[in-house]
Amino acid sequence: MVYDRIVADLLDFIAADQPGEDAFNALALKLFAHQFEHNQPFAKFARARGKTPRTVKHWADIPAVPINAFKTLDLTCCPPEQAAAVFMTSGTTQGGLRGKSYHATLDVWDASMRRNFAERFMRGRERMAMGILFPDEAMLPNSSLAHYLSLAVRDFGTPASGHLIGPDGIDFERLTTDLARAEETGEPYALLGASFSLVHAMDALQAPGRSFHLPPGSRILDTGGFKGQSRELELDEFYDTLSESFGVPRADCINMYGMTELSTQFYDDGNAVCPSVKSGPHWIRSRVVNPLTGAAVPKGDTGVLAHTDLAHFNIVTTILTEDAGIEVDGGFLLLGRVAGAEAQGCSMAVDEFLSAAGAA
Amino acid sequence: MAERAGHLPGLDPASLRWEMLTFGRTGTTLAVEVPVLGGEYSTRLAAPVRSEAAEHLRAQPVARVVEAVDAAVARLLDRQDPYRRKMEDVLPAVTGYDREMVRLGLTQYLQTFRKPELLRFLAEDFANPTILDDFQPLPKGGFGRAFGPPVLAHIWAGNVPGLPLWSLASGLLVKAGNVGKVPSDEPLFATWFAQLLAEVAPDLAGCLAIVWWRGGEEEPERALLQAADLTLGYGGNESLAAIQARMPVGKRFLAYGHKVSFGMIAAAALDPAKAAATARLAAYDVARYDQQGCFAPHVFFVERGGAVPPQTFARYLAHELAAFEARYPRRGLTLAEAGSMAAWRHQEELSAAGEVLGDPAGAWSVSYHGNGAGFAPSALNRAIRVVAVDALAEVPALVAPYRTLLQTVGIAAPPRDLFRLAAALGEAGVTRVAALGDMTAPEAGWHHDGRFNLADLVQITEIDGRAEAAADRLADYAD
Repeated sequence: MVYDRIVADLLDFIAADQPGEDAFNALALKLFAHQFEHNQPFAKFARARGKTPRTVKHWADIPAVPINAFKTLDLTCCPPEQAAAVFMTSGTTQGGLRGKSYHATLDVWDASMRRNFAERFMRGRERMAMGILFPDEAMLPNSSLAHYLSLAVRDFGTPASGHLIGPDGIDFERLTTDLARAEETGEPYALLGASFSLVHAMDALQAPGRSFHLPPGSRILDTGGFKGQSRELELDEFYDTLSESFGVPRADCINMYGMTELSTQFYDDGNAVCPSVKSGPHWIRSRVVNPLTGAAVPKGDTGVLAHTDLAHFNIVTTILTEDAGIEVDGGFLLLGRVAGAEAQGCSMAVDEFLSAAGAA
Repeated sequence: MAERAGHLPGLDPASLRWEMLTFGRTGTTLAVEVPVLGGEYSTRLAAPVRSEAAEHLRAQPVARVVEAVDAAVARLLDRQDPYRRKMEDVLPAVTGYDREMVRLGLTQYLQTFRKPELLRFLAEDFANPTILDDFQPLPKGGFGRAFGPPVLAHIWAGNVPGLPLWSLASGLLVKAGNVGKVPSDEPLFATWFAQLLAEVAPDLAGCLAIVWWRGGEEEPERALLQAADLTLGYGGNESLAAIQARMPVGKRFLAYGHKVSFGMIAAAALDPAKAAATARLAAYDVARYDQQGCFAPHVFFVERGGAVPPQTFARYLAHELAAFEARYPRRGLTLAEAGSMAAWRHQEELSAAGEVLGDPAGAWSVSYHGNGAGFAPSALNRAIRVVAVDALAEVPALVAPYRTLLQTVGIAAPPRDLFRLAAALGEAGVTRVAALGDMTAPEAGWHHDGRFNLADLVQITEIDGRAEAAADRLADYAD
């Protein structure tokens, strides 16, 4: 069956050792043809831009779907009701509409996460004790980050690992016990979670004046930024404070950049210097583009990030984010959301517009 | 040397800290120095503006103020004048608008402030404009005199060059001392006007101050609101709400918020002889200042039944926008604006029952909706939606829910429809009905957002009718 072959091809590709540009291109075009055939809203989107499997010869020409489209369209090759999992965005903008990614299987997603995580976060270690500052999958069944972190614990954590956030919020007692145990035993410890949860944890530890000095090899993974859920910190301040609170050098504080609309994550190699260079594995490629024309901006100029993620095969491979970035050697710098994209222009007007109608 | 923004009578520029703003939309980078003013400066500037206005402005007849503004505007209409040349040179670089569009726009706009037009402003609001000079008989009996605020604060937005002149001229006509806060987007026009007025009418030089701080900065804004007697604010809901929240109790704040305007095109304007011209006028309203003004159209409602159907009209419009792009190119977009435009186009693709026509480079976009519904804000920067309706009479009901946001309607319809539709549109909340093609150039003295430019600024002091009789009894010549 076509579908099984695609999954097998993808798993092979992810497992391969640096397959090269031609192989990437060939698989990207194959997936484009598959999506064009089975994902009707995407086919319409592509056709409106004159992009069909007949005209697209290079992965960079695959039309990038704006992440906003995930909120209104069912972008999936399998019928939504047959999806093995649906990951959704938090729905904090645009009237609470949530972007959805339907996954026919999580095999590819999981393989993508595992290989990349092993290389970029575990850095050669098989397992380590982990504390997760994020709710688990049972609490957030549609969160790709909850799934990611649960996989991390399951496949890379020691039995001492676990979630430090429950229905009542952060379990500070367990957090301090875990950290103290790591200090005592000298076994490296990994703290992983949402950036804002790490801020909450640091704030809570700072109140009684506690700080820890985790043993060498310990590391921290933060992701997602502050999203108005905690104090907003400058990156340098954030990593300085992280480093001071837990005794982990900034070079071992790794930021993961992931999105519900992707099946693959990006990492930096620590945050000794900010902004750090982010990069992904061989099955994802990024371009920095002018959002309106889709054309790549000259290297070194600021543009919007577009990602082509082969692992996102059931949805669309190529998305247009709302994140500003700059292409640099070895990856890209992530500059945060496109300044003002929500606060001015059309979306602001839309909000004002809708509220005017509500008031009338 | 970098241009300097601000007009700060009584302050020594050398004693101030200056910050550099850079503008680079057009490719050439331009630096403008702006004064860094803490809250104490708002107070320090408002006091001399108040006393200067009291001494030099309030005692003048309004006709003298008209002469002074007219003289300054005459200089700006002279293309050889150094101020005018500076405006033509520098404003395109600051705002990003095409040079030729700025030049034509300035001339057209400035003509609204010559003496005959200023008299129209006055006549529009006061049956007898000398009520600004002295007590005049009131129809009900007694006498009244209109006093402008001793100090009027203006907080301007930066979308269209020259905008500050509306409220500055209004403030001067009611003999107010003026302190205007320019936006970071365009800090120069008001600065130059103040300098020029000081040249043509040196006695008025101290009656206005032009200040700057970063939008939303609380301390200087609060101090200004406190020091002024009345405040005019322009901008989005959020910034206006912030100003409103800082208003001292008992002082008045007149807010001019974001508005949504639209066009209406009758079948009669779509016969083969007229359709192309109609499309050109519509495209002009879209292209002029890239829809940045509150009077610019977001949607055109086009009536079915004409020789040219609405969908074809959308193509005509696209053609005309392409022509405008060749002649008056749209300004370069920021990354955020490009993102908004891309999102708008995509959303239109999803929702349009018809089609989306767009220039591949993104310079203009037209979307067509065949299903009647579809009044929504555009992404601006030459993005416009065409909505087909069976009859224009349906439109007032479609827009009525957005009452608080409605402003201008550009209309192409025969006379009977013009008045019939205007009545229904006014009922829905529309405050200005203009000819298609004139949307972005309001007449002198127009009632901005349906309000009174001058009358809203003044308070009337009345001499009760009986006070005169009572005074008569105390006259030394009384019997």
